[in-house]
Amino acid sequence: MRDLNLSLNQTQRVRLEAALHELQSLVPAAASAAAVTVADTIPVNQEDNILKYISLSQENTIQEDTISLFVCADELVWCRGHGTSDQDGEVVATLCGVVERVNKLVYVRTLRARYKPEVGDIIVGRVIEIAPKRWRLEINFSQDAVLMLSSMNLPDGIQRRRTAVDELNMRSIFVENDVICVSTILALSVEVDNCFIFCFSDFKSVFAYVVVLTHADTLRVINHQAEVRGFQHDGSLHLQARSEKYGKLERGQLLMVPPYLVKRKKQHFHNLAQYDVDLILGCNGFIWVGEHVLVGENVKTTEDRQKYSNEAENFTPLETRKHICRLANAIRVLSALGFTLTVELIIETAEASVSSNVEVNDMLGAEFYVQTAEREAKRRAALLRKKKGGR
Amino acid sequence: MVGLSEGEKHFIRGGIAQDIRTDGRKRLQFRALSVETGVIPQANGSARVRLGATEIIASVKAELGKPSILHPDKGKVSIFVDCSPTAEPTFEGRGSEELSTELAVALQRCLLGGKSGAGAAIDLSSLIVVDGKVCWDLYIDGLVVSSDGNLLDALAAAIKVALSDTGIPKVNVSLSAANDEEPEVDVSDEEFLQFDTSSVPVIITLTKVGRHYIVDATSEEESQMSSAVSVSVNRHGQICGLTKRGGAGLDPSVIFDMISVAKHVSQQFIGVLDSEIAAAEAEADE
Repeated sequence: MRDLNLSLNQTQRVRLEAALHELQSLVPAAASAAAVTVADTIPVNQEDNILKYISLSQENTIQEDTISLFVCADELVWCRGHGTSDQDGEVVATLCGVVERVNKLVYVRTLRARYKPEVGDIIVGRVIEIAPKRWRLEINFSQDAVLMLSSMNLPDGIQRRRTAVDELNMRSIFVENDVICVSTILALSVEVDNCFIFCFSDFKSVFAYVVVLTHADTLRVINHQAEVRGFQHDGSLHLQARSEKYGKLERGQLLMVPPYLVKRKKQHFHNLAQYDVDLILGCNGFIWVGEHVLVGENVKTTEDRQKYSNEAENFTPLETRKHICRLANAIRVLSALGFTLTVELIIETAEASVSSNVEVNDMLGAEFYVQTAEREAKRRAALLRKKKGGR
Repeated sequence: MVGLSEGEKHFIRGGIAQDIRTDGRKRLQFRALSVETGVIPQANGSARVRLGATEIIASVKAELGKPSILHPDKGKVSIFVDCSPTAEPTFEGRGSEELSTELAVALQRCLLGGKSGAGAAIDLSSLIVVDGKVCWDLYIDGLVVSSDGNLLDALAAAIKVALSDTGIPKVNVSLSAANDEEPEVDVSDEEFLQFDTSSVPVIITLTKVGRHYIVDATSEEESQMSSAVSVSVNRHGQICGLTKRGGAGLDPSVIFDMISVAKHVSQQFIGVLDSEIAAAEAEADE
């Protein structure tokens, strides 16, 4: 809500408050309990912990440890992760966000933070530098991401040969400031807290951490620290663009929203055929809305650049452009209201604006914000009712 | 500021040519304007103006001073602009100096008139307390908190709002017999005189992109401009000042065209600004 600077009139303000209040009341108790602000105590239920712990240990078939753990349950200490602190035996949040638990580890995941990469994420980034054999990309991560030339396949899917000529021609593929779509392959972020190293981003390292903890005593954990760090490298992020669907994005606009609004899904590329629009919801909160491009058309980048010189003929068709702007404004409204961005919701919002005869520009006006909040509250209430009815 | 790729630039230019910009606006539409008054309690008048993602805070401070010898019947007004590094990292340190000066000079030109003080939008003779002895010095400060294009228009609007919020304390002068003595002044804490802002102009910047020109350009659109003409227009539709930025030349007929468009747009903008000021004042009274 922080970004919301609307000039609302009296009735609009009342309506918006009512809608937001309803939205808040619809949140399940478990979810609201997980949200913490600074200095909140995080409940660490010891018994819960053991039960969970046993089930996990069984999966991993480490029976001996389970027994020993069960015996010394009283001595079990929670591992305080990022964003927590120990105050007189209680775990206290030092950040504002959502409490996450991975086995014995408790940490606070902040909402308004930079993007935390995970392996296999599809993201949209902007090239900021061309370095030897690699492009550096701005992706709203704490570091710049790296896309190696060798992680790009040739247009027909053949692996690239590492030649000097290829390296010299890197600018024919991407130049500075290009917006491109890629996926992450090696996402290793390291968090150092209280002598432990936690790695949230990589499944393997979370597992490694669990293994370390199963042999639970502090000494051993410290011993294993080096091992965990062993495959961390420098914590940088590597990207790849091996398929033809990845690559340069043109003829459209890039929107930046807080990354927590984009949830990881099976589909991040969406071709909205009815509008002739491509929508890419990058996990890093960069969203691309642009004219639909057929896969494989990207190849002709150098020719494209020459085409811009006689540009008037190849502007985006007016209808498509209207759709692009409408969808972009729908995303702007939804992200300002703090609603999770899904394709369905974006399309629904855009369609609602069409059906209630709201001009593209007026979508950013106060009235449409209020309408959108009300619609979302209604939708969630209906969803909850359906769920309860089903039971 | 983040660079734009060729494709995005092309998209922006296309949008301007087709009269639907990236956020759905037409060429001559402003972004949403929101106004707050009285944001700085220490100042005599202050305002926060948001124009889309551009955010400006303006404050007016009045101090008693001595009028200059050349113009004993006029008060003094000075305008300063500061660009905060929160708006853009490049404003850190001395990075914003050039831009700040440019904006301040443009504002002075549009609001203060000539060196003699003639033709000033702010009525300088209303600032005089005792002829040749005591006058009010107005210090107008503009702070760019967040920058997303069209800073000059937003600054001028913020100053206009801040001036309309300004109350200048009433001064009682005790008459002394001797003419060359300093008069004794008694500044009232309770009574304030409202400042007359009806003649303060707004600035409309027309940014030329390709063959068309637009109002209220975002910073992305500004990166595509060839030249920009800022026209300050008052309530009566009179032109108070004119500045041009950007290297590209303009045909004289285009400039006349731009001026008449700016005059038309300004009357709408003044209307919007007036209603926003009224709403902000009503809110402050609550």
